[in-house]
Amino acid sequence: MSTASIFVALISFILGALLALLTIPVLVWLERRIASLIQDRVGPNRTNIFGFRLGGVVQSFADVVKLLLKEEYYPSHIKMGRWLFMLAPVITFVAAFLAFMAIPFADTLLIDGELLRVQALPIDFGVFWYLSIGAVGVLGVIFGGYLSHNKYALLGAARAGSMVISYELALGLSVLSFVLLYDTVDFNAMVIWQSQTLFGSLPAWGIFIQPLASIILIVALFAETNRNPFTVAEGESEIVAGYMTEHTAMKFAMYFMGEYVAMNTASAVIITVVFGGYQLPWVSTAMLLENFTTFTVTLMMGVPIFLFIFIKWMRKNNRVKETLSSDGGRNFETKVLTTALVLMGLFIEMLLLYVSFIAPSDLGATLTVAIFQVITFVIKLMMFNIFFIIIRWTLPRFRYDQVQKLGWVYLLPLALFNLFITAIIVVGVGL
Amino acid sequence: MSHNIKITARPERTLKHNLYLPAIYAGFKVTFKHFFTNLNDINAVETLRYPEEQPTDISSRYRGLHRLTHREDGTEACVACFMCATACPSNCIFIEAQEREDGVDEKRPKSFFIDTLECVFCGYCVEACPCDAIRMDTGIFSLTGDKREDFVMDKEMLLSHKGAFGEEVSCARG
Repeated sequence: MSTASIFVALISFILGALLALLTIPVLVWLERRIASLIQDRVGPNRTNIFGFRLGGVVQSFADVVKLLLKEEYYPSHIKMGRWLFMLAPVITFVAAFLAFMAIPFADTLLIDGELLRVQALPIDFGVFWYLSIGAVGVLGVIFGGYLSHNKYALLGAARAGSMVISYELALGLSVLSFVLLYDTVDFNAMVIWQSQTLFGSLPAWGIFIQPLASIILIVALFAETNRNPFTVAEGESEIVAGYMTEHTAMKFAMYFMGEYVAMNTASAVIITVVFGGYQLPWVSTAMLLENFTTFTVTLMMGVPIFLFIFIKWMRKNNRVKETLSSDGGRNFETKVLTTALVLMGLFIEMLLLYVSFIAPSDLGATLTVAIFQVITFVIKLMMFNIFFIIIRWTLPRFRYDQVQKLGWVYLLPLALFNLFITAIIVVGVGL
Repeated sequence: MSHNIKITARPERTLKHNLYLPAIYAGFKVTFKHFFTNLNDINAVETLRYPEEQPTDISSRYRGLHRLTHREDGTEACVACFMCATACPSNCIFIEAQEREDGVDEKRPKSFFIDTLECVFCGYCVEACPCDAIRMDTGIFSLTGDKREDFVMDKEMLLSHKGAFGEEVSCARG
């Protein structure tokens, strides 16, 4: 093993852990802010550290501190299986976290003739990894619900378990049609396949080639992550809080965070399988590396435009109404952030100038393209997370029998039908 | 079956309904429009930025914090008749009566306490008062304190509150 390979493996692992863990507070904040914006409210925007409120994201950290310091209440009627009761939220959290590890963040790097995967777990059977580890998460829900010795918790756990059974089939079958189409179980190879173009104009994304399977995949993943409209397992109008009724403080927070990690993982899987992963449409890694100078010049023009629009938006929105006398330190924060963003932009410009004109090298080009792909991946991931959140605040919850009917009567036969057609076309046409 | 019962036919569920997706798209369009408009201009959101902005729509009928009214000569209008304490559903008014020496009236309260932590702000005391001596027209809607004792209003505090809507003295006592 060379130094480069160890370095890349470490960086990818840190990147994976950060992307899975650091997005939790951001997602909680996004959920609350987006919900309030949809409902014409303002949302949490007051909490700050030394006047820096960053749009209110500090609130999530304050909430974590509060949950950590809360009394560790423990229901006294639970006599047997205490350790499993405590462990259950951890199982849910860790399963969602581990499932995220198989997602590629950038294309395979070629350094000194060595192929290095930018994946937290450098495996080439990511689909199997996701399907097997992702399904373990529901065990935590079932254990937690069953060992609570509480009828609502038990009902919630039963609902979660039966829902996973009915949607896992549709999920597996729709993923299978993608496996047939791309002829691989490796997430990275799937992304590379999708960076082709279709009929010369469309990007060959899964959503355009397999619209039916894509929709089934997205719906099944919504159900798998217990997100609306499939939140029957914690339907507060029927069964209090479902499986987490007896869980308090940090135990509850583990379930809560596990839900967000699962949502993040589901988004990552959806964009990797269906929306071209870390690639921009019409642009493949090879194309970027061949036309590296054009790419960097475009980027050097794009970064200031993006920063200009963002700073303009921030100056417009990070201030209070004119009728108010005090701005609560928002002007100062805007000034500091504007300076920081301009300096960051200058730094990026210098870096791009360096790798493309002053000291052009293969290594520099490879790394620049990889970093660009990671950033593209994060932006796509966040966009899909926002889609998850907006859907939650758009749709009401399905009734439990409707959930089961949708899974067994509609999605499963459709997924089977789609798999059948895909198999005929793949074998017949020899795609 | 009575002839008054009118049976409404259920709307027919077409393929468009059963697909769910058109309805989801329509709903998504509405929520996304709200999200995008408010994201573009957060200050257009019609929300009171409390506490920097204070409510301006408190009317004279709003039941705020209590006050004891005065007579024209500046003394308290209360005659310690205990009607308010009797009417109070949460038993939060504590009065001690005293003979009034100055000849204006016969009785006056020696002490008058309202425990606002017990009070449910129902306004029955105001309705019961025969002398228009207790009112809830101060317009004070938020009361803060560091300890429980801060919320027990005594006679001096209740007399010091000003009416927010013009009527300063008791209408019943000259």
